[in-house]
Amino acid sequence: MTVVGTSVRRADGDAKVRGTAVYGMDYTEPCALVVRVLRSSVPAARITRLDTSRAEKIPGVRAVATAADTPGLSGMLVLKDQTVFARDEIRYVGEPIAAVAADTIEQADAAIAAIELEVDPLEPVYDLEASLADDARVIHPDWESYETFLDGPRGGNLAWEARVERGDVEAAFASAHLVVEDEYRTPRQHQCSIEPHAAVARYEQGRYIVHTPTQFPFLVRGRVAELLGVRPSDVRVVVPAIGGGFGGKLDAMLEPMACVLARKAGRPVRVVNSRAEEQATCGPRENAIVRLRTAVAKDGTILAQEGVILCDNGANSSGETVACANLAPLALGGTYRIPSARYVSKVVYTNTVPTAAFRGVNGNYCVFAQEMHLDHIARELGIDRRELRLRNVLKAGEQMVNGQQLDDAFLEQALAKADEIAPWEELTAARRPLRGVAVVPMTWITNPGPSGATVKLGEDGTVTVTCAAAEIGTGGVATGIRQIVADELGVPFEDVLVTPADTDAAGYDHGAQGSRTTFGTGSAALDAAAQVREQVLDVAGGMLEASPEDLELVDGHVGVVGVPGRRVSLAAVAATAMWSSGPISAAGKFVAPPVPFDAGCMVGAALTHFSAASYHAHLAEVEIDPDTGRVRVTRYVVVQDVGRAINPQMIEGQIQGGVAQGIGYALYENLRISDGVVVDSGLETYRLPTALDVPPIEIAILENPCSYGPLGAKGVAEPSIIPVAAVIGCAVADAIGTPLQSLPLTPFDVLAALRHRDQEISPRD
Amino acid sequence: MSYAFTLNGRGVDVDVPGLTPLLEVLREHLGLTGAKPGCGEGRCGACTVLLDDQPVVSCLLPGSAVEGRSVRTVESLAGADGPLSPVQDALLDAGGVQCGACIPGMAMTLTAVLEQSRDLSEETVRQSLTGNICRCTGYQKIVDAALRAAGTDGGHR
Ligand code: FES
Ligand code: FES
Repeated sequence: MTVVGTSVRRADGDAKVRGTAVYGMDYTEPCALVVRVLRSSVPAARITRLDTSRAEKIPGVRAVATAADTPGLSGMLVLKDQTVFARDEIRYVGEPIAAVAADTIEQADAAIAAIELEVDPLEPVYDLEASLADDARVIHPDWESYETFLDGPRGGNLAWEARVERGDVEAAFASAHLVVEDEYRTPRQHQCSIEPHAAVARYEQGRYIVHTPTQFPFLVRGRVAELLGVRPSDVRVVVPAIGGGFGGKLDAMLEPMACVLARKAGRPVRVVNSRAEEQATCGPRENAIVRLRTAVAKDGTILAQEGVILCDNGANSSGETVACANLAPLALGGTYRIPSARYVSKVVYTNTVPTAAFRGVNGNYCVFAQEMHLDHIARELGIDRRELRLRNVLKAGEQMVNGQQLDDAFLEQALAKADEIAPWEELTAARRPLRGVAVVPMTWITNPGPSGATVKLGEDGTVTVTCAAAEIGTGGVATGIRQIVADELGVPFEDVLVTPADTDAAGYDHGAQGSRTTFGTGSAALDAAAQVREQVLDVAGGMLEASPEDLELVDGHVGVVGVPGRRVSLAAVAATAMWSSGPISAAGKFVAPPVPFDAGCMVGAALTHFSAASYHAHLAEVEIDPDTGRVRVTRYVVVQDVGRAINPQMIEGQIQGGVAQGIGYALYENLRISDGVVVDSGLETYRLPTALDVPPIEIAILENPCSYGPLGAKGVAEPSIIPVAAVIGCAVADAIGTPLQSLPLTPFDVLAALRHRDQEISPRD
Repeated sequence: MSYAFTLNGRGVDVDVPGLTPLLEVLREHLGLTGAKPGCGEGRCGACTVLLDDQPVVSCLLPGSAVEGRSVRTVESLAGADGPLSPVQDALLDAGGVQCGACIPGMAMTLTAVLEQSRDLSEETVRQSLTGNICRCTGYQKIVDAALRAAGTDGGHR
């Protein structure tokens, strides 16, 4: 009996389809107060007067909080430049200035209106390039005083820089057959989880207890503590059902406000974002500019590459943008052999809403840029596009740009599998006007972060895992961890329970990010389960008068191998253990082992290497409507190395969902900002992919095991979004004969490119 | 104002301002939190309920507009401790549920579609779902679920 490798139903599904699951947006506590937030309507200003005394006197108002109540500076892991409320200076439209807790929304609204705020406007800085200019106004004049988690180049409006430099770049360029240069621009993309951010806080026994649908409970705990100036252990984070995250629910957002209001009011408070607040104040994927310059030999061999990545941090580092800065070079230099490279990844302050993590982070635009650029090289050299990739793709045992050796590289195999499904030769031979095709390989990381988990055997023979992993929908907790533990202990899937994430109950967990739940928390749970297994065998050995080596765990029982009927139930083992050796339980732990790489080639790198690297190939066929410019994705193939497929159906779901989000990024989504104001404040203009926009996806799952993943598993959830814009962008360029250098590939841009092309062609006709 | 309607097969009376959206009436006054406030602007479909058997977004519908009519929410699809409806069952069987926030709305739209016709194709299912956004699944497994629940292969497989 084994449940690993089967598509078992998710353990939380029944409540979800009945509508009885309690999400963050549903959760409340008795007599919870409502909250309204006063947010800045100007992008940059000095606060000259903030008076809340009139607001506080309004009937029904129980608490008003401002920067005076929240002393701390914090930031997402690396750079601490964020306050809960604007202190002396306002840095973006939507920045919280004060928050009110009241009995009713009307009272809270009245209180917000009664807050007296006077400001002196400052000159706003919106543009990435302008922000780095010498004469730009410095958005954080105190930048030098900010604490950082590691050293890295920074200064003025350059919030952070990460650099990778290897080999003799100059010599390579000097000897090149051809040098190709390109620039690409990509927009902000909003996570748009269906559930908005929400938090319910109360203050009890001198501690903050906050229920919030977060992906990363221990991060929220640490960030709330830092922002409020208390110890992490003074904060308890409990996670209800989560209605989607995609990176948008990693960081503390509403929780610090809810906590401080709860303390001041002496009552629980509940705060839920409106969709407009969600779009305008919760950090999206950053907009970026990627410049690439590549030296190639005549046969298309890449000799060297230079890359500059400018990405928008927004007004502070509350999101993951700084922490991920060095992922850009790794994304650019993790798929192809690039013997000499110089990459500079700059995270830039602007007077806009802070950006944050969204599935794939900067990989999405770096891979888009790299693949469009490679197509450019292929055109210049007259080499088939797939062939160019095959010549340069990393093979097993070769090194990424950081000097990390990829012993299990599987890119050639992934490309070969894609070719089996959709033969390149046939696709390109059958070329028709306005149809295009492209194929893209990719290497990606599994987040290496640590996890603790405990496993106990219940008196009825069931097994309970306690961990702080958050189920954001992927099935990591609802299936993955349970399947791994069920097989290790020989119990039915249904008999493995997982406690809801609660930072008081569970050990540290690095959060549902970077595909790490089944991989990381699954490993910790497996470690704990293996110890429980030993304890069980020990006790059962005594009961069955057999040595532990002769025992097996099957179907909720311990039996003697080869002796049918000689067995005891796990319930009996638990009962026997209780009064002999004590209750059966164990704590397990995990952190991805160190991987050798060339540390000397990197500066400012919070993420230095690809742990549990996985390998991918995506292929897309598109069709262009010449009248409307509309791009239709007619065929999509994903080949994904998952290490070991724990739950094939959940894996398919992650692939289909990631590709859909990638199609949104490629074709529709663009969170526009005008004069610092988020234009797309609702789902009317912010266009999400619908059921008609996503084609059926042909999927091949490859198992190329990771030596330190649980049962060989690697991360699965994140990568499927990353190459989508790249492969669609390349396919569209193939269809219209002109590459588009920016995303999304709107009908207007496509039409303009078609018209431009026709004008260029016609004079020669 | 006070008005009466049929909710999940039983008569209810409410006394709330007539313009209060039905979604808020359901969630805040009648204790039914199955329908979800995904956007509050009629765009995501997470709040979908059936009004006289037709899917409607309850976040934009003034509560008083349902006076004398019949409303069904996701809570009506299965008895509280009873077996799941075919649509609910198929959604889980096909792996169509991830975070689940869109699912109450999806389940209601699909229930209406299946009540009206069992003769479904993949294309008609996709058409019927354009008002329901799912950010997690990429829709395929939700479409598969609908076809499974209808007992058809939708012209595929
Ligand atoms: S909440 Fe009603 S359509 Fe989104
Ligand atoms: S399952 Fe998450 S939005 Fe559909």
